[in-house]
Formats: sequence, structure tokens, C-alpha cells
Amino acid sequence: MRIHDLVIHESDAARIDAVLLRFLSDANASAALLIDRGGQPLAEAGTARTLDVGSIGALAAAAFSSTAALARLLGESEFSVLFHEGVRESMHVSTVDDGTILLAIFDERTTIGMVRLFAREASASVGGILAETRARPRRVGALAAPLTAEEARRGSDHRPA
Amino acid sequence: MSIINYAARVINFKIVYYGPGMAGKTANLQYIHRCLPDDNKGKMISLAAGDDRTLFFDFLPVSATGVRGFTTRFQLYTVPGQTHYNMTRKLVLRGVDGVVFVADSQWDRLRDDVESFRNLDENLKEYGLALATTPHVLQYNKRDLGDVASVDYLEYLLNRGARRVPAFEAVAVDGTGVFDTLNTVSRLVLVKEFGQAQEARA
Repeated sequence: MRIHDLVIHESDAARIDAVLLRFLSDANASAALLIDRGGQPLAEAGTARTLDVGSIGALAAAAFSSTAALARLLGESEFSVLFHEGVRESMHVSTVDDGTILLAIFDERTTIGMVRLFAREASASVGGILAETRARPRRVGALAAPLTAEEARRGSDHRPA
Repeated sequence: MSIINYAARVINFKIVYYGPGMAGKTANLQYIHRCLPDDNKGKMISLAAGDDRTLFFDFLPVSATGVRGFTTRFQLYTVPGQTHYNMTRKLVLRGVDGVVFVADSQWDRLRDDVESFRNLDENLKEYGLALATTPHVLQYNKRDLGDVASVDYLEYLLNRGARRVPAFEAVAVDGTGVFDTLNTVSRLVLVKEFGQAQEARA
């Protein structure tokens, strides 16, 4: 399975944000995160309080991929939904496409059924946008030209405090 | 898999620290986490068993100054080194842009190093990748211990591709070689993505 790089242009990001906001409103969920299956966050909406999006992305993608591996052990291609129920808040993770998952955080103001229903709609819309995104040229504008040695150094330089 | 987000002005890369069990992969991330300024690091997550051995992975997001107005973010992961966790290692490799292979320099661990290196190559193939074309560096760790193989011998065992890759001697627990390793793999990943212009010599 070959995994392709992804470039999200500004117009694509705006369309994805609009779909996620609509999903939050329809499902009455409190936050939505679009996450690459390798663990990198792609977009977020409605995060009323500050969430550690990087950590959530890494952990949710890992949980989802290990669940998919479990499914394959049972002869299923994957389990398309992962649901964690908490005392106050719950989490619903579902498939968008081969490379992406959608995570929703919600509380008692809505139901798992509503979240599931509208997540399916939102996933179809986002999946369409991502398919267009993947077909676009990778590097345009500021990133079109190769890096100078100094740019490569600055872009990769980590220094202890 | 690199992700370039023009709206957020961020370029994301994934770097995986691979190697046999107890070679010092987690120690690398712990040292980086301890030393980087707060602005350049996120929270470190370790999914470890009760004996502190990595069960699934460690995760640490770090960022560098960036290029052309884009922040460069590197998501650092480790894998569980123990042989029987191969399925988990495969999952962590998904979307990898660069690899640090952490070898244990001790004589009695060389067989494990070689086995893990072969296993890395096999697991990359599952994602249509080849080690030869995936940016990677070698780190010969635990150089402070007594019974270690010479660097020449480690090179002979592990650095035998058509093109020699950068290799670093390290003592990850005290930080020796840790940032050299990280900066070099980050640079390889960045240059693979964007290319580097040939500059005229003065």
C-alpha cells in the first residue's frame, strides 16, 4: 500500500472547515478533527477549549489503525467506526477515506446516533475535497523552488535551550 | 508522508526511531524533550508497559524555525523494539518520511541490530517504500559502555548500501549525538521533499 503526500491549499482548507462546522452544527458535537491515518492533524473545528490536537491525532490514529489490524485478524477489512464513551464526553472516530479519519467529541447534548449519521455525510463531503486536493500540483508559490543550503539548515535545525 | 498546509503555513513530517529493544530509542526522545525550548516542542506521550518498555510508541512533536514563512514540524515516533511486536511497528511506520535507526553498539546485541534492520526494510516494503530511497540515518548508541564493537565494524554490518548514509556515535542518555542525529535526519527529509539548489562556489 503506497501512501501519498498531501498538500492542502488555502481554498481546500476553507471548504474542509465549512464542512466540519456544518457537521458540528448538524450533529451538535463540540469538536471535530480531521486526522491523517499516520497521525497528523489536517483540520479542526469547534475546539471551544484548547485541545492538544497533536497528541489527540497521534493517539486516535494509532487506536484506529490497531482496531483495523484487529478487524483483519477477524477477516474484516476494517471496523469503520470506533466509539469511546466517557462520563461527560465521548469520542467517535470514523473512516473518511483510505488515508484519513474523522474524530468527533460530543457530550450529553446529542446522541451517538446523531453523530454517526452526520459524520457519514461529512466524511463523504470531505473525502471528495481530499480527492481533489490529492490531484493538485504539490508545490506552488513560495515552495516551488528548491531550498538553498541555508534554508535547508534553518528548516531542520533543532537546538537545546 | 509529508503534509503541506498552505492555510496554516505548516509543513508536517513524520520521523520514526527504529531499532532493537533497549537500544535507546525512547532515551533519544526523552533527551530531546528535556532540552528543547517549550516553543519548539509539544507534549511527549509514552505508551509503555509497566517495566517502562515501549508497548506501542512514544510520540513527541517538535518544530524548527521553518522555511519561507512555513513552520516545519517533525512528529517523532519510536517503535517497540521487541521482536514479537512487529504488527505494532508496522502501524507506527505508516506515513513515515524519515527513519533514525538506533543500533545498540554492544557486541552481544549486534545480531539483534541486524535482525531489526532487516525487519525495517521488510516493513517499509509493506507501504511501497524502500530503505534505499527513504531518508535515514544510523545512530550507534551506548558508546560509553565497555564491550562495544568498533564503529568500522558497525558500519560494515549496517551501512552497506550503494550510498553510505550519515552515521553518529551516541550516548543517548546523556545527549551525546542526539541532536546531531535529529538535525541530520530532519535535513534529509526536508531536502528530499523540496530539493536543494546547487550553489555556485565563490
